[in-house]
Amino acid sequence: MNSEVQFIGWHGIAVLLVYAAFLLGMVIYAAARRDIRDNMKSFYLGGGGLGAFLLFFTMYATQYSGNAVIGYAPKAYRLGYAWLQSIPFLVMVITGYLLFAPRLHIFAKKYNFVTPSDWLHKRFNSKSVTLVGTLLMCYGLANYLLEQLVAMGHAISGLTAGAIPYICGVLFLVVIMFVYEWFGGMKGVAVADTINGIALLIGIIGFLVLTLQHVGSFAETAQYIAMTAPKKIGVPPLSTSINWLSMYLLVGIGAAVYPHAIQRIYAANSENALKKSLSRMTWMPFITTGVIFMIGIIGIMAFPGLQKAPSEKLVGLMANVIANKSVLSYWMMMILYTGVVGAIMSTTDSVILSLSSLISNDVYGRFINPAAAEKDKVFWGKVAGIAIVLLLLIVAWKPPATLYEIFVLKFEILIQVAPAFLIGLYWQRLGKKPVLLGMLSGALVASVMTFMGLRAPMGIHAGIIGLLINIIVCIVGSIAIPLSKEDQQTAAMIDFRKVTG
Amino acid sequence: MAPKYKEPIQYPWIWIVIIVICLIGVPWYLPQGTIYPIIIGLPYWAFISLIASIALGLFLNYVVKNCWDMEALKDDKDEGGSDI
Repeated sequence: MNSEVQFIGWHGIAVLLVYAAFLLGMVIYAAARRDIRDNMKSFYLGGGGLGAFLLFFTMYATQYSGNAVIGYAPKAYRLGYAWLQSIPFLVMVITGYLLFAPRLHIFAKKYNFVTPSDWLHKRFNSKSVTLVGTLLMCYGLANYLLEQLVAMGHAISGLTAGAIPYICGVLFLVVIMFVYEWFGGMKGVAVADTINGIALLIGIIGFLVLTLQHVGSFAETAQYIAMTAPKKIGVPPLSTSINWLSMYLLVGIGAAVYPHAIQRIYAANSENALKKSLSRMTWMPFITTGVIFMIGIIGIMAFPGLQKAPSEKLVGLMANVIANKSVLSYWMMMILYTGVVGAIMSTTDSVILSLSSLISNDVYGRFINPAAAEKDKVFWGKVAGIAIVLLLLIVAWKPPATLYEIFVLKFEILIQVAPAFLIGLYWQRLGKKPVLLGMLSGALVASVMTFMGLRAPMGIHAGIIGLLINIIVCIVGSIAIPLSKEDQQTAAMIDFRKVTG
Repeated sequence: MAPKYKEPIQYPWIWIVIIVICLIGVPWYLPQGTIYPIIIGLPYWAFISLIASIALGLFLNYVVKNCWDMEALKDDKDEGGSDI
């Protein structure tokens, strides 16, 4: 992501400082409570008491990172109208939730789950399954976090026209996030996400209005593209359509089983709040990635002939044009960039919180010191979160020349825990050994394919191929290996008669 | 006895409708390279895809509202729940 804009310099720094101070003030006012820091569920899930409003905004701002603005517009520019898929594939995330959220929500309330690994432990009662699942989630999340940290540095550097260097920008935002997470936990993150989500929405919609006014119209652009670049507007080849369908599965299932997404199911204060939030989330792709799609398409006529690297700066190029038109436009672009920085922050803070919870609840609390008090677990989770971010900052600052690929795997790895939820919630026969073998084989296949450069052979993503193998191993293995008496008793927990009450 | 609670996974028709909408929304079945007519700035196939996306959104809202009620389990408990 490189989106340096010429129009913002010291104004950008001032806006950023004011915004950060506002964010901190609001979080400390609305969410900071001493008692939440002594209890895992209070700290990591807001006590499981998030209502529809906060839940919706934290889901929205967490799911849409800055990449949905800065990265998706250039994709529309290069791919053309086929990038319209960015709307439905994000609507499909709600489909992904419908596969498991209704049932998982009631189990989470019944058994006081804090992390996704709590489900693995309860359902399979196997240290190996819990440990492997936890490590896969931590690994995928850490890489996702690294990506967000890099994006954060570029966004700040762009917002201030390089006045704040990349690494200083990252450090500044990381410190802000740690302060509000330390004091407010999940509730703090949800409040910050709400402010960031609103800033992002205002920025994006203002950007579209000003683009239509000053850069070009959507209808004229279609005629222009039909004459000059028909491949970008004609029905795409079959391989693009297959890739499009593969995206439905990858994003639809992958984004719904992100650990921080699962924890938002746990954090909902009621089924009704969860339902309301998901219903509203259905429409967010239209006014977020849909708007960005339109902007990217208009860019084809406004800035014709950009190659891949220059096209990555499309949002910055358009923002420059718009900002020079009037004072109002200038400040609207400032809001846009603040919203983008906010969007990256709100994805990053949720990932850090989720990673900390997995380490404190599952790695520390389950394997290192099972007798630890809740307060100690929360403390060590925070310390581990800071340590991981510091390590990742070193990688983000000076990326290693070799083995860089190990930091690329995200979705491909995270999605491999999906069968333990999607099948495990409904099929008592699913055994711990097939689940373990499935997770490992799916992760291995997806990783090897990615390292070999086969990220999407024939349009099908490596993560999806790994997931298919994972599912086959789970099903065939569970049919072939009968459950022991003990495992049958453990699996019986998915019987609803034991859940209610 | 039929369970009182509602859960989307119980209804196969929901998933069939979702698959059909998805398949209609992806232009795999249309002749490659065709553009016209252009409707509200979108080539016809992208317009179809947009309508399919809206239909998917509407349908998912319907499902969330009408086919998801696990809270009913609390009332169901005394009657034995379900045998899933």
